Amino acid sequence: MAYSELVKNFNRIREYMREFYVYGFKSREEYTRKSARSYDDERRRLESWLGDYMRFRQNAEGKNVFISIDSRAVQHNPLYTAWKTKSFTDGDITLHFILMDIFASTDDALSLTEIMDQIDTYLSAFQESKTFDVSTVRKKLKEYISEGIVSGEKQGKTMYYRWTMSKYDLDGDILDFFSEVAPCGVIGSFLLDQTKKQNDHFSFKHHYITGAVDSEILCTVFMAIREKRSILLETCNRHKERSSESHVVPLRVMVSAQSGRQYLIAYSPRFRRILSFRTDHIVSVKMGEVSERFDHMRQKLEEMQKNMWGVSTQSRWGNRMEHVEFTIRYGKGEQHIPKRLEREKRCGTVEHLDENTCRFTADVYDASELIPWIRTFICRITEIHISNEKLEEKFREDMYAMYALYGLEDGDEHDIQ
Amino acid sequence: MQCMPFMVWKMVMNMIFSELYSIYYQTMAAILKAATDHPLEAKEMQHIVGKYAFGESLLHILPAIEEQRWQLITPDGTTPLHKEPAMPLTLLEKRWLKAIANDPRMRLFGDDIFDFPDVEPLFLPEDILVFDRYADGDDYTDEAYIRNFRIILDAIKQQYPLKITLQNRRGNPLQMNVMPKCLEYSEKDDKFRLIGSSDRYGSTINLGRIISCERCQDGMARHLTRKSEQQRKVVFELFDQRKALERVLLHFAHCEKEAEKLDDKHYRITVVYDKEDETEMVIRILSFGPLIKVTAPQHFVNLIKQRLLNQKSCGL
Repeated sequence: MAYSELVKNFNRIREYMREFYVYGFKSREEYTRKSARSYDDERRRLESWLGDYMRFRQNAEGKNVFISIDSRAVQHNPLYTAWKTKSFTDGDITLHFILMDIFASTDDALSLTEIMDQIDTYLSAFQESKTFDVSTVRKKLKEYISEGIVSGEKQGKTMYYRWTMSKYDLDGDILDFFSEVAPCGVIGSFLLDQTKKQNDHFSFKHHYITGAVDSEILCTVFMAIREKRSILLETCNRHKERSSESHVVPLRVMVSAQSGRQYLIAYSPRFRRILSFRTDHIVSVKMGEVSERFDHMRQKLEEMQKNMWGVSTQSRWGNRMEHVEFTIRYGKGEQHIPKRLEREKRCGTVEHLDENTCRFTADVYDASELIPWIRTFICRITEIHISNEKLEEKFREDMYAMYALYGLEDGDEHDIQ
Repeated sequence: MQCMPFMVWKMVMNMIFSELYSIYYQTMAAILKAATDHPLEAKEMQHIVGKYAFGESLLHILPAIEEQRWQLITPDGTTPLHKEPAMPLTLLEKRWLKAIANDPRMRLFGDDIFDFPDVEPLFLPEDILVFDRYADGDDYTDEAYIRNFRIILDAIKQQYPLKITLQNRRGNPLQMNVMPKCLEYSEKDDKFRLIGSSDRYGSTINLGRIISCERCQDGMARHLTRKSEQQRKVVFELFDQRKALERVLLHFAHCEKEAEKLDDKHYRITVVYDKEDETEMVIRILSFGPLIKVTAPQHFVNLIKQRLLNQKSCGL
């Protein structure tokens, strides 16, 4: 098939975008799962869509392609562009603009026959004019009714159509801001395209834009949550070696502002547990029936969150609950340290032992989730106790490994160059 | 398969990935808008395609029009359409707008919040939880904060200088003149900061610290300078154990970065950061433990070493 800038299926491009943006070190040869032709086409498309954000590096193993974006320097997520590339037929685009013009030109509801007559009039301006059959136009109108841009009303046996236009003057600043920070922000980007009000009044720090490629998954999940429906998830592991299906009741979406990861928290009837699923590992979502368990499980999740540090709902070692506590010291001029502890403590508690010492404690399902955060206090941790002894031992071993990494096993100040 | 035997699963149609929102439709709408005003020459169409569409779109859109596959522009550059193209809001757009209307930050933009009584919101605040956001974020319900935000946003749009009174770190009031450039929002801190040029050292102000702000006389805007951003790079080697590669690359995904494979388990990563965020970068790197070793620049290596030496002195 001839190359086209547009695509029919988003999933393949979703995978490539993530590979190029998050990883970006693989050479062409390493994309072994797809054909070379497929790789070349997807790379060419991304180059066309993302322009200067696509970068190349030549090394001994070949040419590496990657997407490099400093999200603090861009006001609008460039990855949204991928959602604006759906392919269509010549008939689709012709019919779309003619139908919109027909509806814009009258306040009256029109029957299918009247619409067909008008379409023919529009097309008579062309020498070899297209013809659309009634079933094609009816199907298109049905599609537009489900999109919400056309309404249909039956009078007797005849269906009458009109569009649903009502005047909304949408504020460009609202769209600029929420299209970047709200879930499914790509929808705000669609609105910005139409209003042509895109400005540069906002910029964003700690802004993770990768989640944009999971927007369709998230959107379906939200719809299921609002209707309290079960869903069937098709998930795959990171290496895409195998996929599996899970029937779950979606309860909440949890997002990390510090890594950009998004998770679906859902009840699994099979495991009789509330579990988390990374949205970037979800391939597809199918909607099921309304679940009677939704309200009860949501309440249960509410209770559980008092002991959830991140998204984990169970210990990796099978413990019911794990206790963590550590003590830090700080100097007189370091009052920002206890403040930091307070603002970052989440479900934990902070005790101010004296002017220079604080103790943090928490009871959580999975203490291993705290370890990276505890390490951010390296240079001032005086004590640490974790009820999961293996985890505490691992923490201490890692500390020794870090000393060794920088040659500080017996080190002193002279090790600083 | 683990699903229940009686359950009927329904594939949901693409809601977001639809041609209705495509760049090609947007571009065609712009061409048609011009054509309802005057007959178009090929050059003008090329210009519009260049402005709205992708790098290679010219090769697809113009032939489709010229060959009359898309029967919307006649060979003489006119269109049979009567009006400028427009499309009503889709159901999805209304549901999203209704969802964001529930966000507490919405009030910063005005008191009249839109409503769409005929649709359900796509999500409610209780459907989402940002679980690692800092707890001392800005108070978006505070009337003084809202007033300051609106004045600042107006000043950014109209480009006039502001006289700002704020509370410094010691809690004392401080006055400065600022020419605002933009508002920066941090999702992690849940705070807005004003970025601009000022008559004092430091041209980034936390909105939460502002006591009051007002338009200042134009004459006072002289000699306002912007602190230049200093970008720095840190290079580290990563040992890919415990999914470290994925975790690290996702963690630094928002920064400009490069990753290079050294062998099956080792990678070299270069991350660009602002000088003012150096301490934050140090602790973020420390959070990965022994799976990351900073190799350059030397002053960054020293910052890590100093923290480790201090830790050793804590007896752990």
